[in-house]
Amino acid sequence: MPPAAAPDALAAHWLAETVRLREAHWGPLEDADAVRQALRHGGSFEDRVLARARVLGAREGLPATLRRWRHAALATLAVLGLAAVLAGAGAATAALGDGSRPTNVLWALGTLLGLHLLTLLLWLASFLLGSSEGSWLGQAWLWLTRRLARGPDAALAPQALTALLARNGSLRWLLGGISHAWWLIALLTALLTLLVVLSTRRYGFAWETTLLQPETFVSLAHVVGWLPAHFGFPVPDAATVRASDGMHALPPGARAAWSGWLIGALVIYGVAPRLLAWLFCASRARRGLRRLRIDPSLPGHANLRERLAPSVERLGIDAPDDQAYTPRLAGAGHAVAGSTAVLAGIELPADISWPPFSVAEGIHCPAVLDTREQRKALLDALSQHPPARLLLACDAGQTPDRGTLALIVELASLAGRTGIWLVRGASGPDRAQQWRERLAAAGLATAPVMTGTDDAARWLEHGDG
Amino acid sequence: MAEAPAILKVAVVGHTNTGKTSLLRTLTRDGFFGKVADSPGTTRHVEGSRLLAEGRPVLELFDTPGMEDGIALLEYLERLQQPGERLDGPARIQRFLDGPQAHGRFEQEARVLRKLLECDAALYVIDARDPVLGKHRDELAILAGCGRPLLPVLNFVRRPPHRAAEWREAMSRLGLHAQVEFDTVAPALDGEQQLYSKLGMLLDRHQRTLAALMADLAAQRQARREAAGRLVADMLIDIAALRLPVRSGEDERAAVESLRGQARRREQQCVDALLALYRFRHEDYAAEPLPLDGGRWGMDLFHPQALKDMGISLGKGMVAGAMAGATLDAFTAGLSLGTATLLGAAAGGLWQGADRLGQRVLGRIRGWRELTVDDAVLRLLALRQQALMHALERRGHAARDPMRPQPPADEALRKGPLPEALSEARSQPSWSTLSEHYADSPRREAVARALAERLLADPPDARAGADAR
Repeated sequence: MPPAAAPDALAAHWLAETVRLREAHWGPLEDADAVRQALRHGGSFEDRVLARARVLGAREGLPATLRRWRHAALATLAVLGLAAVLAGAGAATAALGDGSRPTNVLWALGTLLGLHLLTLLLWLASFLLGSSEGSWLGQAWLWLTRRLARGPDAALAPQALTALLARNGSLRWLLGGISHAWWLIALLTALLTLLVVLSTRRYGFAWETTLLQPETFVSLAHVVGWLPAHFGFPVPDAATVRASDGMHALPPGARAAWSGWLIGALVIYGVAPRLLAWLFCASRARRGLRRLRIDPSLPGHANLRERLAPSVERLGIDAPDDQAYTPRLAGAGHAVAGSTAVLAGIELPADISWPPFSVAEGIHCPAVLDTREQRKALLDALSQHPPARLLLACDAGQTPDRGTLALIVELASLAGRTGIWLVRGASGPDRAQQWRERLAAAGLATAPVMTGTDDAARWLEHGDG
Repeated sequence: MAEAPAILKVAVVGHTNTGKTSLLRTLTRDGFFGKVADSPGTTRHVEGSRLLAEGRPVLELFDTPGMEDGIALLEYLERLQQPGERLDGPARIQRFLDGPQAHGRFEQEARVLRKLLECDAALYVIDARDPVLGKHRDELAILAGCGRPLLPVLNFVRRPPHRAAEWREAMSRLGLHAQVEFDTVAPALDGEQQLYSKLGMLLDRHQRTLAALMADLAAQRQARREAAGRLVADMLIDIAALRLPVRSGEDERAAVESLRGQARRREQQCVDALLALYRFRHEDYAAEPLPLDGGRWGMDLFHPQALKDMGISLGKGMVAGAMAGATLDAFTAGLSLGTATLLGAAAGGLWQGADRLGQRVLGRIRGWRELTVDDAVLRLLALRQQALMHALERRGHAARDPMRPQPPADEALRKGPLPEALSEARSQPSWSTLSEHYADSPRREAVARALAERLLADPPDARAGADAR
């Protein structure tokens, strides 16, 4: 990835997150045009979300809001930096005192490093406690910027930034980096002040105690000076420490040893750990910023998926609907002498027993019609001996289709009168109404349609329903 | 890079009124595709839809009119063959399509066959409640004549009585040994995967395309699940963290009404978002005005009966009346932080909201109190939305009856301690987007994530309960 891409990516993701939060709080924005542009932009779903946010954001004036906030944030950083310089210089001068009396080495050490070490330990402890809030100073920066940047949607900018970075895991590194940078500036200023003042003025160093033994200070000076000594900083020897009780005049070598010891402690316990922590935070934050992602499962993004990256496209129809072919009975049957009757079952399922009732003698009852051959056999038989009454048993559970209706029409045209018996499909859906409608459309509107077994049997034998 | 796999074209064919359009609706998750009705000949033209995986079209599905006149058409096709002439299936079909009857009696069938000749395969949809008849066999003989692999799809198998066994036997006798059950109204969770993998067995050349499609569908499903969990978790946190101050001397009833109104609207917002996420229409759920009033499932959030229906035991404070569903607290939230939170705050985040903490302390001193939504109501909300998520995942886009989600058997949510995430949200008034002091924090994000996972984790007994119905 080119180095210039990281800030651009941050700006794009920040804007997208701002748009997302805005839509989550105040309802969706009108985005037909933005979606069209995003679709034209192409790329992955994430790219399209970013493109949509770019269009919407520009329309709503969000980049200006973000820019304002960014300026406010930089101004706050500058103020904080100035404060750090003042604090560092102040701490160094306060630690050494005005030179009228010997500097208390322990107090000087505490003034220079105390608060710094405490906050550093708290920062380290925040890892153990699993708190991901970052550091006080970083939070202070955010808080101050919030106070500084006012205007419409001003609250959204930091909210979007923190939400984005927190998801990405780089918020704590960013805030931590700011905090460490602050301390680094303060400590470096203190170091510089210390060097300047110690080079140009004369200070005496002493320890004071009412309660402790001088030996305690000897070992303390050694313990504190042990690590800096590895880096070439001087440690006052035991005789010098014992002599520095404020009652004896110190040789010039002892003053140099004490000031070297103090500077060494400041560098090794102050500047160095902050520098390391800052470098660590900065590198983690940088790495995090390079890995910004759109989380598609977030509310606000999930609902965009089907619009920005549709998983389905309609393809349209082959041709408009034509007038459907409907079989139709011409005329209303023809007169047939005699009283012969035929009972025929059409496409009945095997679990309906056939014939369903004991058919009177003389009534023809072929097997249930299913295949083409069976259809043909009955048609042939009827055309040779047309019956006066033809009862057709159909399964009301099935859907009346064109093929079946064509068969019914063909059979009916060969008989004197035709009745339809809708055998209730004891199982499955009941579609009797569809049968009636389709039969009527096929020209069988006058044909009696029966549903009861008794009605059907009576009609078959006597011709009345 | 390997060449891009070709787009697979599949025709959805079958007898009339077996659910071809329904199958397309469910496979494309598009409830507005075509026209669906329980009557023959609803679809009278061929209509296509295309599935994309990662933005690339992979599968085209074509809905076709139903075959209605198979027996007569097969007879006609046989007559088209001159004595002594040998025509293979597709050639015979082509001759029919070029002839006069392709625009006459068999116009609908001609559309089906024309499309099938252009496709790589066909799904033969069967209404498993119908008996196996001669007309179906003739139909299959015609379709087989197109020389394309056919995969029988048994529809309506979730609603007995059906004749799926009879159909399987009949299909095997016709040489169609690969078959798949797919109920378009209530598809199995892995129904799509089964269907496409069976199709892949018939279409060796397109197996890679289908594998890509299946992977994409699975990823989409997972993404939808996670997004749904987040929606519900956010809603629960918003309502759990919601606190309305009641200043001393003020009427509580107005505040209670306001609290209820906000909670109801927030739930409705969540329901709308869930429906949109799963691409269902409001009618799919809102037929009973839901979830705010009327109806059984649509019982008002703050009605004690709604809690009883969900099997949530009522706390002693939970009675019908002016205060139902709301709890009055002394102004303590934020002051009663747990030890860990307090330590964490000391280590970092006290700056955030330190000014607000001051306001809260002031409110406490002045004797203000604040209203929160009852634990029982939070349980009800969680269970209700969990049930809705469960139902949405298992609903086909062909379904036309409005949903009636069954309460899930999540005993822990019903009776156990409130999920940790919600207890924590209780102590963070600024976490509620309904509050004017809303402030997002990384911790809220983490808690919402954890809660979403908790809601999505299906306890085993919940699944058993869902299958039993």
